[in-house]
Amino acid sequence: MPLDAKPGMDFKVIGTRPVRPDGIDKVTGRARFGADFNMPGQLTGRVLRSPHAHARVKSIDVSQALKLQGVKAVVTRDDFNADAVDPALMDVLVNVMARDKVLYEGHAVAAVAAVDAPTARQALKLIKVDYEILPHVTDVEEAMKPSAPVLHADMFTDGVEPRPTKASNIASRVEFGHGDVEAGFQQADVIVEREFRTEAAHQGYIEPHAVVASMGADGYAEMWCCTQGHFMVRNISAHLNGVDVSKLRVTASEIGGGFGGKTTVFLEPVALALSRKANRPVKLVMTRDEVFRASGPTSSSYVKVKIGAKKDGTITGAYAELAYQGGAFRGSPVDMGAMCTYACYDLKNVQVVGYDVVVNRPKQAAYRAPGAPQAAFGVESVIDELAQKLGMDPIDLRLKNAARDGTKSSYGPTFGPNGLIQTLEAAKNHPNYKVKLGPHQGRGVAVGFWFNFGGQTAVSMNVNIDGSIALAVGTPDIGGSRASMGLMAAEELGIAYDKVRTIVADTASLGFNDVTEGSRVTFSSGLATVQAARDAIKKMCGRAAQMWGIPEDAVEWKDGHAHPAGANAGNFPPMSLADIAKDAGNTGGPIAGHCEVNAEGAGISFATHLVDVEVDPQTGRTQVLRYTVIQDAGKAIHPTYVEGQYQGGAAQGVGWALNEEYIYGKDGRLQNAGFLDYRIPVCSDLPMIDTVIIEVPNPGHPYGVRGVGETGIVPPLGAVGNAVSHACGHRMTVVPMSPPRSLKAIKG
Amino acid sequence: MARACIRFLRNGEPVTLTDVPPMQTLLDYLRLTQRKTGTKEGCNEGDCGACTVALGSIRNGALVYEPVNACIQLMGQLDGKEIITVEDLDGNHPVQTALVKHHASQCGFCTPGFVMSLFTLHEKAAKQTRAGVNEYLAGNLCRCTGYRPIVDAALEALNTPPAPRDAAALAALQDAQDIFIGDDESFIASPASLDSLAEIYESFPDATLVAGATDVGLWITKQMRTLPRLIFLNRVRELQALHDGPDGLEIGAGVTYEQAEEAFSALHPDMARLLWRIGSKQVRASGTIGGNIANGSPIGDTPPALIALGATIELRKGSHTRRLKLEDFFIAYGKQDRQPGEFVSRIFVPKINAKASFHAYKISKRFDQDISAVCGAFHFAADGPRIAFGGMAATPKRARKTEAALAQGLEAALAALAEDFTPLSDMRASAEYRLETARALLKKALMERDGLALTQTRVLAAREVVL
Repeated sequence: MPLDAKPGMDFKVIGTRPVRPDGIDKVTGRARFGADFNMPGQLTGRVLRSPHAHARVKSIDVSQALKLQGVKAVVTRDDFNADAVDPALMDVLVNVMARDKVLYEGHAVAAVAAVDAPTARQALKLIKVDYEILPHVTDVEEAMKPSAPVLHADMFTDGVEPRPTKASNIASRVEFGHGDVEAGFQQADVIVEREFRTEAAHQGYIEPHAVVASMGADGYAEMWCCTQGHFMVRNISAHLNGVDVSKLRVTASEIGGGFGGKTTVFLEPVALALSRKANRPVKLVMTRDEVFRASGPTSSSYVKVKIGAKKDGTITGAYAELAYQGGAFRGSPVDMGAMCTYACYDLKNVQVVGYDVVVNRPKQAAYRAPGAPQAAFGVESVIDELAQKLGMDPIDLRLKNAARDGTKSSYGPTFGPNGLIQTLEAAKNHPNYKVKLGPHQGRGVAVGFWFNFGGQTAVSMNVNIDGSIALAVGTPDIGGSRASMGLMAAEELGIAYDKVRTIVADTASLGFNDVTEGSRVTFSSGLATVQAARDAIKKMCGRAAQMWGIPEDAVEWKDGHAHPAGANAGNFPPMSLADIAKDAGNTGGPIAGHCEVNAEGAGISFATHLVDVEVDPQTGRTQVLRYTVIQDAGKAIHPTYVEGQYQGGAAQGVGWALNEEYIYGKDGRLQNAGFLDYRIPVCSDLPMIDTVIIEVPNPGHPYGVRGVGETGIVPPLGAVGNAVSHACGHRMTVVPMSPPRSLKAIKG
Repeated sequence: MARACIRFLRNGEPVTLTDVPPMQTLLDYLRLTQRKTGTKEGCNEGDCGACTVALGSIRNGALVYEPVNACIQLMGQLDGKEIITVEDLDGNHPVQTALVKHHASQCGFCTPGFVMSLFTLHEKAAKQTRAGVNEYLAGNLCRCTGYRPIVDAALEALNTPPAPRDAAALAALQDAQDIFIGDDESFIASPASLDSLAEIYESFPDATLVAGATDVGLWITKQMRTLPRLIFLNRVRELQALHDGPDGLEIGAGVTYEQAEEAFSALHPDMARLLWRIGSKQVRASGTIGGNIANGSPIGDTPPALIALGATIELRKGSHTRRLKLEDFFIAYGKQDRQPGEFVSRIFVPKINAKASFHAYKISKRFDQDISAVCGAFHFAADGPRIAFGGMAATPKRARKTEAALAQGLEAALAALAEDFTPLSDMRASAEYRLETARALLKKALMERDGLALTQTRVLAAREVVL
């Protein structure tokens, strides 16, 4: 049977652009998102949050709140048993409910469940928290200074020998690279060295976090929530509440955007604790203000880059130093940022050092290629400046040094086949690169890299009596993945796309699935879907063999039918999937395919972006004129959704590059916690973003798929930065390049 | 005898409500009371548009649909209106079909709002350019798509004409009865005439007047204020009147930005451009010129232009009316020349003399749906210049020293701006940026007045479109 990978195969369904299964539901309001679930007897929960950036919680008195009519439960730190919590999850516990200290403005201190929202809000006002206010620090560079207030008395920088004896806000130091950077710089004819800073951005998903939890007196519980990983939610929520994992069943709702921000828990363990205490279902929904203050924005950063090159453009040495604040807990994505810093280049001498820093801000969460855009902003800006100094075309300079098949990456592994060169060449030939620019206009080029993840994945495929297929995956669909899974199942089975219904199954129905993150779903769940289909095909071939009375290995599967094959197979007419399904009850019972796998071989991903901007010399405002994304997809399963990821990544990157930022006051409080003053792009802020799909197949996937979600946000900060720098005649080194910053650059 | 209920149509079906909590929003009514969860809550402060619904009104006998943010639309505003939500469309509406076909949803959370904004655009039965679509969608945030497939879908949907609709059922709900639901402690009042309004407001001077609720809505949903006594202005007949006379405009304080657009446009193109920059389509369909003034915000976008034009306002308290210059209305931050029980009833805007020139600009981070960092208006008339700024002081304010210094030339005027204003630094802009751009606006206005080529400046006037 032809069950191996089929490179260069002739696809019938893959690559078409059918309507997604959730298309109609989403234009009619029928799709149910997190806050759309309601239970009989449901209570409304609200969370009390710290008004202080840093304070010791001396006492919490909830007695008055409990006396208020309509209040059914109040939970605080005392309702979670920290001693029973896995040390690896302690930060998660402390983040969802503060213990001895509040570490950022918005940190949860208590939560109530009441009969309605006004009662719950009133109850919050009756909770008395006695705070001892402590000095705070919200800036990454300030936090690294020896004089800075220390958040955690037990934080001694990891990765430094000998281990420091004094506690600091530097959680760890990481280093990657090879060769001799200093020797490399000595060979250089030109060296550019610069410092860059990026402000924190928020993923900006339009759907606030929401959960309904219901625990019965018997300790069995149900939960509905919007999350990128309901298995993760189940495991953590159960563990923090001391509940058996199997007693909690979590169903993922439709998810109104996540971009990494819904890869962790905030409300879910609290909702479960409230429900247990109240013995009623409890719904918790964040306000937009809470989403900004108390979910997980990205890191702000300091980035220093030094690159040296010969006159012909060959890079001889490359160094970078990164400091990312990850909020109040260790775990900023500086490690991934450091690994991505020079991943686009084939370098002999390279060194990247990264510092993971804690500050009094909310614990950062993943945001689309976490850690990579900040580092890429620095590197791509310096590469651009090098090209200027060398008098080289910026694409040619990148082509000269680009990573390719066989390149030893700066973070260790040797790369396999990839499409970086192709994206650069396509950029050079793209009409966008040839448009003549006018006054105050500038063009920017940048490249970007993301690893792409695989991970734990389980898929079930049920062959139903009429020959239609129920496909259950465990990875929430955040960008059209149900359509992609349906396409891959249909392709492998040899049936029509509309015969497959793909659902995201609950946690009781499938084996564990890692979170939808790292651009892993179309790769991992896709690979598992193909494997599950092959499992089902094997079983169907067995049933056909049984009905025909021939050996199983004398049956092959082709175009949705079992065919007798080989010398002794006999001469039977092909039997369709529907024929076999109809008789399943008589031939051995239900037919299903399964795959449980820890998927490996996710192919790396590269992109090149082109952008043209115009900067108003009188106000510093930047208008994006043209934008083109060119990226390697390996194989585009549903090309429209691949293009959608490219455009979405670029759109978010443009917003971050030009306007989006967390603005903190001296009091350590966030000043712009709302869409009114945290400005994400609207329709008129963006051009019609153009896309080019490059396909260099990933050998690790049966159809050649590479993840496509993340890479798109890596180049925009650099690309826009380069374009604005050329338009202003001044090198931009701070993101966002908001009108005041650009005006200052223009005026000098 | 006042009516003790509100009546509206829900997709053609009449609904009567007698028990209406004063602060209840349309979104809470839909999602919590009716369990109609198709309309989404993304921000609850009128910024994201996920809760957009279509509001039908009778205007000059015709049925008009406008998009509004259900999260800051109060139930008391809905009498005599029709509400259509995403769940009222059957899935085969041209807008829905086009959005599905163009794969315009990724996560789909914003989609119901886009459907309804585009529904109201589709009802207009007019061809559109991308710029026109942009304007309609400025109040709808999408974080997934970069908007391209949504714009493609919108342009395609407009090729199919809207189905004919009958205005009769909604017309039948229009009446001249005052509405009062509740008691002296907590009520919704919706007077139908100016006299009724004057009477009830004089009786309850601490009640909150609600025009479009684009700000009052936020007092409720964002600031969590308790406002038990609400007087709604949108049914007061006289406040809806807009008269375009030979001497100027007479604008009822309840006229929305949307309704004022045509008259403002006729007054001067910059006035229309300024209106387009206020909030979003949803905000302009609800917000009023009178509210923008009476609210007294230092960053309201119409007062600087109206001051520069020499506008006056009429205030009424009980049976007494008085008129004053708009610039004299604003006394200090949060303080206006308005007595308890007194309200703004009309705005008078003189026509611009053919020999005069007028210029108005707004500077904000984002072109659409953003709050001004600086808003400047310049009126160069025979009797001297009138210049006013928003965002530069605690109130919208005339730049009198700058006006005087213009006689000594540009440099003197630019220097005088710093004497007129010591702007604040805040998260929207620094003091230096405000002063710098205010000077840039003055220069631009003078260059435009003198007919100079504007190659050196691209201070935004019209929305730029790149295809």
